[in-house]
Amino acid sequence: MTAPGGGALATRGGATVRRMKWSLELSLGNSSRSRGDRQSKDGDVMYPVGYSDKPVPDTSVQEADRNLVEKRCWDVALGPLKQIPMNLFIMYMSGNTISIFPIMMVCMMAWRPIQALMSMSATFKLLESSSQQWLQGLVYLIGNLLGSALAVYKCQSMGLLPTHSSDWLAFIEPPQRLEIMGGGMVM
Amino acid sequence: MAWLVVRLAISVSLFYTASAVFEDQVGKFDWRQQFIGKVRFALFDTHSQASKKLLVATDKNVFASLNSRTGDLFWRHVDKTGPEGHIDALLMYGQDAVVVAGNGRLLRSWETTVGGLKWETVLDTGSFQAAALVGVQDFVKYVAVLKKSAISLHDLSSGSQIWVENLPDSDTVQYQTIYSGGNGLVFVFGVVPNSHIVIVEYKIEDGEIMNKKSVEAAWMSSLESSCTVISSGILLCVDQITQSLYTLLLQSAEQTEMRQIHLQTLDLEVASGFQPVLTSTQPNPAQPPLSEFFLQLSPDHHILLQLKDGLIVPLRDFNPSYLAAFATSGERTVAAVMSPKNDTACSINLFSADTGRRHLDTTIIYHMDPNGGKPNRLYVHAFLKKDDSVGYRVMVQTEDLTLTFLQQPGRVVWMREEALADVVTMEMIDLPFTGTQAELEGEFGKKADGLLPMVLKRLSSQFILLQAWLAHLWKLFYDARKPRSSVKNEVNIDTLSRDEFNLQKMMVMVTASGKLFGIDSKSGTILWKQYLENIEPNSVFKLIVQRTTAHFPHPPQCTLLIKNKDTGLGNLYVFNPIFGKKSQISVPALPRPVLQTLLLPVIDQDYAKVLLLIDDQYKVTTFPSTKNILQQLQDTASSIFFYLVDSSQGKLSGFRLRKDLSTELIWEVVIPTEVQKIVAVKGKRANEHVHSQGRVMGDRSVLYKYLNPNLLAVITESTDTHHERSFVGIFLIDGVTGRIVHEAVQRKAKGPVHFVHSENWVVYVYWNSKFRRNEFSVLELFEGAELYNSTVFSSLDRPHPPQVLQQSYIFPAPISTLEATLTEKGITSRHLLVGLPSGNILSLPKMFLDPRRPEVVSEQSREENLIPYAPEMPIRDEWFINYNQTVSRVRGIHTAPSGLESTCLVVAYGLDIYQTRVFPSKQFDVLKDDYDYVLISSVLFGLFFATMISKRLAEVKLLNRAWR
Repeated sequence: MTAPGGGALATRGGATVRRMKWSLELSLGNSSRSRGDRQSKDGDVMYPVGYSDKPVPDTSVQEADRNLVEKRCWDVALGPLKQIPMNLFIMYMSGNTISIFPIMMVCMMAWRPIQALMSMSATFKLLESSSQQWLQGLVYLIGNLLGSALAVYKCQSMGLLPTHSSDWLAFIEPPQRLEIMGGGMVM
Repeated sequence: MAWLVVRLAISVSLFYTASAVFEDQVGKFDWRQQFIGKVRFALFDTHSQASKKLLVATDKNVFASLNSRTGDLFWRHVDKTGPEGHIDALLMYGQDAVVVAGNGRLLRSWETTVGGLKWETVLDTGSFQAAALVGVQDFVKYVAVLKKSAISLHDLSSGSQIWVENLPDSDTVQYQTIYSGGNGLVFVFGVVPNSHIVIVEYKIEDGEIMNKKSVEAAWMSSLESSCTVISSGILLCVDQITQSLYTLLLQSAEQTEMRQIHLQTLDLEVASGFQPVLTSTQPNPAQPPLSEFFLQLSPDHHILLQLKDGLIVPLRDFNPSYLAAFATSGERTVAAVMSPKNDTACSINLFSADTGRRHLDTTIIYHMDPNGGKPNRLYVHAFLKKDDSVGYRVMVQTEDLTLTFLQQPGRVVWMREEALADVVTMEMIDLPFTGTQAELEGEFGKKADGLLPMVLKRLSSQFILLQAWLAHLWKLFYDARKPRSSVKNEVNIDTLSRDEFNLQKMMVMVTASGKLFGIDSKSGTILWKQYLENIEPNSVFKLIVQRTTAHFPHPPQCTLLIKNKDTGLGNLYVFNPIFGKKSQISVPALPRPVLQTLLLPVIDQDYAKVLLLIDDQYKVTTFPSTKNILQQLQDTASSIFFYLVDSSQGKLSGFRLRKDLSTELIWEVVIPTEVQKIVAVKGKRANEHVHSQGRVMGDRSVLYKYLNPNLLAVITESTDTHHERSFVGIFLIDGVTGRIVHEAVQRKAKGPVHFVHSENWVVYVYWNSKFRRNEFSVLELFEGAELYNSTVFSSLDRPHPPQVLQQSYIFPAPISTLEATLTEKGITSRHLLVGLPSGNILSLPKMFLDPRRPEVVSEQSREENLIPYAPEMPIRDEWFINYNQTVSRVRGIHTAPSGLESTCLVVAYGLDIYQTRVFPSKQFDVLKDDYDYVLISSVLFGLFFATMISKRLAEVKLLNRAWR
């Protein structure tokens, strides 16, 4: 694709410029420009209007790109599932003792899926371009749920879940006594 | 997570079961006071001018030396209790103090400066009558001991027996006193009541009887109380009935009859019903006594008399006078006489003994404590001043066992409260809030009566706050003007207020002599004392806290029930435990003997708990008995039960209150007295809280505790004391229904049994007569894996009996007393406080007394942190909570919760009083004493400033980069 003629086209650094794909600079010799401009000023002198010394990329969407996007989206969707074997291994290695490292591992394992589930909408946006967006979203969700289930299982096997009656023992109120009683040896 | 917390707590408690103090904590929160008891003999060390020693022997079988300048103990020897250690006589000569102890069983000589034993001799059996120092030619060399049927002479320097002689006719004659005047003879006086006196003369060298005579004295019943020897060997007696004095020359052969001198001839008269008392003095045992003596004619009338040329001459009449005593310094003997000055003070004056003239400027004013008793003993320490005049100090003992040491002109040098050597019962009361706190408390504590009164109340309390603040400012200003040294941080009754964690409390102590004390638990200062007169010696006391300090405008209120053991009649003494003042509340009259009391959780409109007094007809008297209370009682009567244990009949009976305040018998358990007798019964402490309703098992299920608040532990001992057949029984009885929940018998066991009943367990200690050792046994009761009813507990609805677990252990020491720690919420693990006869107090973790301790360790028991069973109970030195501050004859331990869950206040009392704090699970809720505040705060501030600075630096750097 060729750039339209009738103006100096320049690709420049700088945040304000990067937003536009191209721009025409009509006021030549404006000295209130940055250093980069000044350099291109030399170029302006040398090259005709519309000439760029860099090749313009080909941005047309091709069939191969679409496949790539799809693949990339599947990668994102399957990410949590792929982590599960790894997590299982870590779980096995860390054991069931309660000490600082296993606790940190469990916390991480539990926190990551939860974090992922919380930022679900952002992930969906990422998958927007895919045709199988819903399926991928579902797989991603299932993967994360499995991850958190694994974390819960780990907590359970470590004894961190209040599932036994002993865990609620501290909250039992002492029973109210119905009778008042006293006395003792005859004085 | 709860599981995790529990496990962490258990593992932490396992690691830190030691409760010893560190060296720098010594004396920081504990104190000990040592006492001696009621003084029976007191002697001042007069042989050197600068001596500060005062030797005392007391009714508690204590022989001690006091510093007469400070009142502190130099040393103290505590002998056995009871007649075995009873001190019969105390004699002193030079550096040696001779003591006869154990009804004439032992003769001991003590070195008085350090209290070391010089020698000890075991005497022949026979009941002790008298002892005297015997001198020969101005030197005291021997000590003579008179028994019922023999007299023995011992060498003073070695204790070896010189001779022992049987007394003639000892089966008819009661030999009672002994006298030696330094002339080589020892006189022994005996009496045949209402017949004659027998006088036997012994030669000192070999015990040969030199002379023996009997003199008619039909009027005489006892020598000891009415006779004395004066002048150079003249026996002087007084008789109340014939109103006469009698004299007898000891060494004259011709005088065979006592010379009678009518008191009327001296214009004297003995008060009717009063046994007159003669007091003479023998300053040096190697020389004859003085010829002057005191005759006490009535409780407040003394007269100084002199025997001169066979005639008795009155030297000076002291009327009125309470007490009189002789004292000698060097060659001069003086008499000190205490006379009443006005209602609150007495004056003590010094008179020269030979003339009866008053020494000038020798008055000591003794101010009597309005809350104390009358003076009853006077001990005088005379000394020669530089100008050769006689100075003196006196020690006064009062009825309430206060020792006051005074010097001229009435300055109290020191004071000892010896009543505290015999504490009967005690309570610890929370101190009141400071004015500000109390006001706020009061505002929210009172009942609201509407909007306007609330506003007014608010305004008034704000006004009081302002006033308090201004007063505080004024005090600050006033104190600031004074020099710094004079502003002392003393504890007194006005500055008393609760501290942040309620660690400082008021210890209200009731003593056997009937004196009440209010002691600050932090410092041990006596803040108030109150002597209750006319208390019989064997009265029973029960102290009840009816209202605590929590109900601000109403003062706290304690009630003391005093029951006379002989008549059975009781009376109530109501007082404010913080200030010790008697309350103005009208007390119900108790015309019938009181059997028991019962404090109900029901409160009247003044927030006082209701006290029920049960008389011998099982009728109930209420105190206070307002209409409101009676109404409340009518509503709740059907749920009020009480039990009575009659040990003599072996009967336990349970009663229910009726609406008309009479009672009905609902159950009765008879334990036959022929086989066993009930020795003790204990319920649970009313202020005990149990936080955890069950125990967590290894598989994380729960074993629920059987927490029956009505459960009683009854201990019985067999009447058969043969070591093969004796046994100790324990019954767990429900006090409401009379149902026997559990019974256990420990065969071949003997008392005395000490036990603690708390939560769901009973721990008891007995003597195993088969293996001859002390054993601990623990009973624990569980409901099982399910709670029958988790919301309410009713003894009337308990279909399932509890599971009972029991285990026993060997304890390698005898035990004096046993108590369990107590904390505010009951979360902290429990310890048992064991008072040992050695005076140590052992803090034994309850964890060691757990019937679930396994014999074979399993995974589950390890998970539960159960210690494997070992029959021997360890005693570790670091478990002694009182390190070297031993408590002599510890009789009781009182525990009270503080505001901190980790901390339990402990008071051990016996002959001494020791107060400390224990932390059964370490101080998990307070920072340690040696917490490095400086380091932590400097690190914090350092980090804070470092963050600020680096933030600033980062900003500058960013800016610079942006400019590049």
